[in-house]
Amino acid sequence: MKHKWAMVIDMDRCTGCGACVVACAAENNTPTAGEAEAAKGRLMHWLRISRYWKREGNETRAIFVPTPCMHCEKAPCEIVCPVYATYHDEDDNLNAMVYNRCIGTRYCANNCPYSVRVFNWWNYTWEKPLDEQLNPDLSVRSRGVMEKCTYCIQRIRRARETAISERREIRDGEVVPACAQTCPPGAIVFGDTADPDSAVSRVLKDPRVFKLMEHLGTDPSTAYLKKQRGPGR
Amino acid sequence: MLDRRDFLKLGGATAFAALFGGCERLPRKIVPFVIPPENHKLGEALWYASVCRQCPAGCGIVVRVAEGRAKKIEGNPLHPVNRGKLCARGQAGLQVLYHPERLGRPLILSGPRGSGKFREASWEEAIAALMAGMKKVRTDDPASLLMLTEPMRGHANLVAARFMRAFGSPHRVAWDPFGQDALLSACDAVFGVRDVPEYDIAGARYVLSFSGDFLETGLSPVHYGRAYGRMRQERPTVRGKLVHFGPRLSMTAANADVYLPIAPGTEGLAALGIAHVMVKEKLSPAAAAASSLWGSGLDRMTPDAVAQATGLVAADIAAVAREFAGNRPGLAIAGDAAASCTNGTFNVACAALLNALAGSVGAPGGVSFPNRLAPFSRYGADAALLLPPPESGYPALREAIGKMERGAFRMALLSGAANPAFCLPASLKFGEALLKVPLVVSFASFLDETTSLSDLVLPVPTYLEEWGDDIAPAGHAGDAVTLSQPVVDAYRDTRAMSDILIAAGKELGGPVAAALPWASFRECVDKAYGGKGVNLEEARRQGGIFTGKPGPSRPTPKAARPALPKPSAAAFEGDPAKYPFVLHVYPSIAHADGRGANLTWLQEMPDPVTTAVWRNWVEIAPETARRLGLADGDGVTVTSPSGSLEAFVVIHPAIAAGVAAMPLGQGHARYGQHAAGRGGNPFALLPAGEDAGSKGPARQSTRVALAKAKVAGTLVRTVNVEGQWKYENIL
Repeated sequence: MKHKWAMVIDMDRCTGCGACVVACAAENNTPTAGEAEAAKGRLMHWLRISRYWKREGNETRAIFVPTPCMHCEKAPCEIVCPVYATYHDEDDNLNAMVYNRCIGTRYCANNCPYSVRVFNWWNYTWEKPLDEQLNPDLSVRSRGVMEKCTYCIQRIRRARETAISERREIRDGEVVPACAQTCPPGAIVFGDTADPDSAVSRVLKDPRVFKLMEHLGTDPSTAYLKKQRGPGR
Repeated sequence: MLDRRDFLKLGGATAFAALFGGCERLPRKIVPFVIPPENHKLGEALWYASVCRQCPAGCGIVVRVAEGRAKKIEGNPLHPVNRGKLCARGQAGLQVLYHPERLGRPLILSGPRGSGKFREASWEEAIAALMAGMKKVRTDDPASLLMLTEPMRGHANLVAARFMRAFGSPHRVAWDPFGQDALLSACDAVFGVRDVPEYDIAGARYVLSFSGDFLETGLSPVHYGRAYGRMRQERPTVRGKLVHFGPRLSMTAANADVYLPIAPGTEGLAALGIAHVMVKEKLSPAAAAASSLWGSGLDRMTPDAVAQATGLVAADIAAVAREFAGNRPGLAIAGDAAASCTNGTFNVACAALLNALAGSVGAPGGVSFPNRLAPFSRYGADAALLLPPPESGYPALREAIGKMERGAFRMALLSGAANPAFCLPASLKFGEALLKVPLVVSFASFLDETTSLSDLVLPVPTYLEEWGDDIAPAGHAGDAVTLSQPVVDAYRDTRAMSDILIAAGKELGGPVAAALPWASFRECVDKAYGGKGVNLEEARRQGGIFTGKPGPSRPTPKAARPALPKPSAAAFEGDPAKYPFVLHVYPSIAHADGRGANLTWLQEMPDPVTTAVWRNWVEIAPETARRLGLADGDGVTVTSPSGSLEAFVVIHPAIAAGVAAMPLGQGHARYGQHAAGRGGNPFALLPAGEDAGSKGPARQSTRVALAKAKVAGTLVRTVNVEGQWKYENIL
C-alpha cells in the first residue's frame, strides 16, 4: 500500500526546548560540527528551532518554529539535482536522498526555500568510543554528500517490515520519528494521511493549520498549527 | 622528504597489505548502490528500562541496545513522571556513557595536590589506599570523615547514610546548587507542609509564573513540559493561559500569553499586589475569608505601590488578579530566580499565598502534597533517606568549608556530579579549603574542577551501567518507584560507590559491617523490592513499580488561614554608581549547573532564546547597549565586587531595564576539551549570599559593571533566520 507520510507541529504546544534537536542527532548519526564550523553556518542539524523576535506594540515576543524538512510534494530541490540523488519516493511520498549518487553540487540546498539541507564539508569523525553510539540502521555520510531530515525513514522501514511479517498494514502511531517521540509537550504528530482516520489526518482538519511559505506552491508535507494567544493585557 | 629507507619500508608494507588484505572474506551479497542505505534490512535491537540521572527529576527511560552497545535513549512510556518523553539532556546521556574522556582506571595523584596530575593505578592499589586512609581515620577520630556528594537517590543514599552513621561521622553534606530550600521554607510557612508541592499544570486554567522557568529547568522540566502541552491543547473547550513575571524573557516567558518584565527580586511584591486586589474585591471565597491578611499589611500593597517597586503597570496587576481569580483552577509557580534572591523565601511564599487565595490547594488543577514515600512506611525514620529533601545543602556545605579550613577533616569522600569547586561563589574558596584535607577520595566519571583536587579518583559506572532505584521528587503521588539496571555491560573498569562502601564496611568490620549487611548494592536493592508480591524481573522490565494507586495527600494545616509573608526586599551587593546593572543568572537549559558542558550534543544545541552555541554570553537590553555603545556580539568585561570575566554581548529585546543576564554552566577550567575555554564562569561573579528565610544560596544578589573589551573569538549564533525570511513571510 502506498503511504503519504506527514508531520504536524503544534506551535501552541511547542516550548522551544530543543529536545527534538538532540534526539534527531542521536537517532540519525548527524555529526557535531564544532564551534569553528558552526560559525560558518555549517551546523549539521536536520531539525532546527528557528527563533523569531516579533514586535507587537511595545512588547517583543519570541516565537519558536521547529523546522525539519518539509518533504514537499512539489519539491524545488528534486528538480535541480543533476544525478537524481534527491528524488521523490513513490511508495512513501517522501522526499528522499540516495547518498551514493550525490556528487555534491549543492544545487538542492541552494534551491530549498526552507534551508533545511546540510552539507558534509568534511569527513566528520566520532572520537572513540563515541562511535559506539552510532545507529546501525542508517549510514554515516561522508564528505561531499548532502543530507537532510528523512522523517526517520529507518523507523518507517522497520514498521513496514514488522507489518509485512505479521501480514497486516502499518498501524497508526506505529511510526514515530525521534523528534515526535521525545517532544515533552507532545507538539509533533506524525502519521499517514493516506489513512483518513489517522491522528495526523484528524489534526490536519484543525482550522489552525498552515504551512511554511505556502505561497511558493511547494505543497509541504510538514504542516503547523498556529500558536494561539489568550486575551492580552 | 621520502628517503630510500622509508620508501622501502612503505613498499614492503604495501606488498604485505596487497598479499594478505585479499584474504578477507568476500562480501556474500553486493548491495547495489542505487538502494538507499536506509532501505537495507534492519538488525534487531533490545530495549532496557532504567532511570535518567542527567538532572534530579528522575524520569524513566528505555534504552535501545544493539550488539551490546547503547544506541538511543527514549522516555519510558509507562513512567508517570515523563510518560515516554525526554528532554535534550536526557537524550544526551549516551555521550556520558561513551565519552572519550571518561575515567576507566583508578587515578592516584602523581604531582602536587591540585596540579591535576595523576597516574593510573590498579583497583587493588586504589582500594588499599582508600582502606588505609579509612582505617586510620576510624581509629584516630571517626568524626573527621567528610562525605560530600550530590543528593543521592533511593537505596544508594540509604547505604551512604548508614555507612557514615556506623562509621561515626555526622558530617554528610549533599550539595545541589539548584536545591529547593526557599520552596520548602515557603510551603512550610504558608501551608504547614515542608515538602515539594505537586503542581497540576495540565488541569489548570490559569497559571501565573513568577520567574518560574518550569519548562526549561527547575524541578521536573519534562513532567511540566508535558503538562504544559496538555494545559494548552488537550481539553476541547479550554485553553489554559500562562502569564509570566520576571526580569528576563526566558523560554517559559516566551511561551506565556503575557510576559510582564519586573525588577529582579520583586516577584513576591508582584504576587502581593495581585493578592491585594483579590482580597479587596473579594474575588474568590478564600480571598473573601482572608480579611486578616488585610490588617497585617496587605492593605498597603496597592497596585500603585507595587507598580512603583516592580516596574509593572498598575492596571496590569489588577487585570491579572481579576483574570486569575475568575478562571479557576489557577496556579502560581515561583521559580529559581525568585527563590535564589536574598528574599527568596518571601518571593516563593507570596506565590504560594496566591494558590491559597485562589482555593487551589488540594484541588484538581492546583497544588497538592502527596506522600511520595507511601510505599516505604515499613522503613520508619529511614524512609526519609530514600527521598532526601531536595535542599541545596548550602548551609551545611559552608559549615564544612569552615571546618576544612581549620583542619577538622582528615579525610573526605566526594562524588563527582556535585562540583562545588565550580558552582560555589569563588569567595567561599572551596578549592583552597579542600586542599587542606589530608586525604580526598573522589568517586567520579570525569576529572572536573573538584575531582582534580583529590588524591585518589575512583571511576564509577555511569547511570546507564548501574543497579539502583529512584523515587522522583515530583510528578507522581507515591505510586511510582523507578528501578534502574545496567542497560549495557560496564564499558569501563568501574565500581559503584555503593559497592565500594559496602565492601569497605566489611573490611572495617564491627558496626559498619553490620549496618551494611549485603554482599553488593544489587543485593541491597533486590532485597528491598524482591518478594512482598513484587516480581522483580518484571518490574525491571517495566522500569519500576507503578501501582497507579496514589496514596492520600498530606493535610495542609495552615492553608485555610494563611498568614502574610513578612515583606522583605532583595539586597544586591555593589554600589549602584559603580556597578549599574543587576546580574540575573539562570541555569542553562543545556548544561544546568555545568555538568552537561562536556557533551558536544548539548554544546551544539542552540540556546532557545539567544540561539547561541558553544560559549556563554551576557544579555542586555537594546537601550543599555545603545548607551554603552555596544553592538550584538561585542566583547565586554563583566565586573562584580566579587570577580570579573569576559563575555560576548547578546542584545535581548525583552529584558527588564538595568538587568544583565548570564546563563550558568559554561566557563569550566577543567572538565575536558569540550567544556574548557568557553568563556568565564558566572559563579565566580557571585557573592556568598544567602536567602534570609531558608539559608539557601542567593545567586541573584550582585550588581555588575559592563565595559567594552576585546575578547578573542566570536559568539556563534545559529543561522540568522530573520535575515533570510521575515516572520510575516513564512506564514
